[in-house]
Amino acid sequence: MRVCVCRSYRAELLYDHQLFMMNMNTALPKEMHTFWEKETCNQSSPSKKPKPPKPQNAITIAVSSRALFNMDLEQDIYEQQGMEDYLNYQIQHEMEPFAPGPAFPFIKAVEAVNTRLRELYPDSEELFDVVLMTSNHAHVGLRLINSINHHQLFLERFCMTGGNSPIGYLKAYHTNLYLSADSLKVREAIEAGIAAATVFSPGKITEVPETQLRVAFDGDAVLFSDESERIYKAHGLDKFFEHEKAHENKPLDHGPLKGFLEALGKLQQKFYAKGQRLDCPIRTYLVTARSAASSGTRALKTLRSWGLETDEALFLAGAPKGPMLEKIRPHIFFDDQMFHVEGAAELGTVAAHVPYGIAQKIPPKKDGKKDTSARQLE
Amino acid sequence: MENKKNHAGPLMIALQHDDLFDLNSVSTNTELPKGRAFTFIKAVQTVNERLVEQNKNESLLFEVILITKECSEDVKMKIVESVKHYDLEIGKFYFCKKEELKNTLQSNKVKLFLSTDRDDVHEALHSGISAALLYDQADHRVLKQLKVIFSGDVLGFSEDSLESYLEFELSEKQIETVKAAKICVKEFAVLIGQMRRRFGPENSPICICVLTTWGSRNVCASALKTLREWGLDVDEAFCLAGAPAHPILSIVNPHILWDGGFHNMRDLATLS
Repeated sequence: MRVCVCRSYRAELLYDHQLFMMNMNTALPKEMHTFWEKETCNQSSPSKKPKPPKPQNAITIAVSSRALFNMDLEQDIYEQQGMEDYLNYQIQHEMEPFAPGPAFPFIKAVEAVNTRLRELYPDSEELFDVVLMTSNHAHVGLRLINSINHHQLFLERFCMTGGNSPIGYLKAYHTNLYLSADSLKVREAIEAGIAAATVFSPGKITEVPETQLRVAFDGDAVLFSDESERIYKAHGLDKFFEHEKAHENKPLDHGPLKGFLEALGKLQQKFYAKGQRLDCPIRTYLVTARSAASSGTRALKTLRSWGLETDEALFLAGAPKGPMLEKIRPHIFFDDQMFHVEGAAELGTVAAHVPYGIAQKIPPKKDGKKDTSARQLE
Repeated sequence: MENKKNHAGPLMIALQHDDLFDLNSVSTNTELPKGRAFTFIKAVQTVNERLVEQNKNESLLFEVILITKECSEDVKMKIVESVKHYDLEIGKFYFCKKEELKNTLQSNKVKLFLSTDRDDVHEALHSGISAALLYDQADHRVLKQLKVIFSGDVLGFSEDSLESYLEFELSEKQIETVKAAKICVKEFAVLIGQMRRRFGPENSPICICVLTTWGSRNVCASALKTLREWGLDVDEAFCLAGAPAHPILSIVNPHILWDGGFHNMRDLATLS
């Protein structure tokens, strides 16, 4: 695992070098990919669509229609004119596919990973399974199906719950991750013990890799519990440092997205087993406000005690996360604090809010001094 | 071409008495204990109430007729008494032999025959009767909504998708059954569609669902289009692509599960 310590421009240069190195390594897979494509074309039934895996074997990602597609216009109609007008509009525009939404690149990258997994392990069901989980009425169903067809997504499973809560269905599908644009549903899911996050559209479009799925996680209250954040909030920064140092060897409790990181890790192992460590199509990042010099140790030791790791760990010591994420170009970044989510989104990263832990009890800051807030977990 | 017959008029449904009442448990009361069809009939009555609320002179209401096969005079009396006791809106009673079932249903223009017995439903479908499973709801909570599930696999069937059905090894006979079932259910679908349109998308006492268990999303789309052509708007749609259906069914909790006898759904409904 590469550890990146961001203290100054020097660190950024170091990171650029690493990025360069990464790009060198990822040059290879593209060629290999074409090679594999040629191989599969020669097989007996090239036009046969692969079957979706059984839910209990797969890593199930449930995505809402507004996370997957851009439905801003339609959402406005619903809010301003009500359900009937909204449904009529959808039906009238049925043949017009939706444009991609914030989670779209993430889902495409997930599908690319599946393609690689199927090539290496044709009989395995340890794959991603993407399910469309929407509370939309089936009236919108045809437009959604047309859109899925148009974008050639491999999405054969969906639930259109006609206004009912999707929580029961999420459980029924053993959902490993739920992405929605609706923070209320996400909150419900988190409370029901399902890893979930509210996806936000980035302020500008960033090109993300097509052949490597990149997922970035905040540490506290996302991968880890919020226990340390509580200490900081109650007793301040000094007490927080003391506490973390004293408990360096005591693993933190797990947070809502630990399971998803674990699932990604399992798939990564499958690629490593086939000799694809350097050019693995899945790459994970820890992006934390903790500091490498002090509180970061406990984070790393916790991951290690769980038998997990991220490919890269970035200890920002309170520096804003946006610029670093801009460099990484992940398909998605999970954080429990809206401040960080907004900061990331502004600079072009698809950021998702995990409504978990002590940070949710604090009212959102208005146009505040971002600098002071950034130093929360130094 | 669609005939321009006036579709207003009751939507006739047939139930069997041993679904409505529990004949097996011993009871000292004069009335028979409630059976598995109870939540269904209460839901149907709710729909009728809401329809009449909107229009006093509404003629398109549910009408339930009760079919009783061979039984003693005592039991017949008990049945009639029990219906009165529970204040159930049963239009007619038919005490008939099994062989007479089809004629009885046809002469009464019954659009859907319901039973909790999967074999009964299967037999009925084979003799050309429009039939569906009365899904035994584990939860006897009385909902304010009648929930109907249609199989997307059957409704979405078309000559284009024939290839994918053959891939799953359906026999010629099964394909014919599927085609026939689709035609058979149309009358019921058209009428319940008209009923459904008396209400808006929200707060409706009828909820129409389409469940596609292994067909692709395009099969599901085809099912939605078919129902729309028949004037039936769908509220909820599920496409499982081979995932087990039981967890979904236990959340949706339908009263009526119409699958045209499609064998794949055999393992779904629990008759506990």
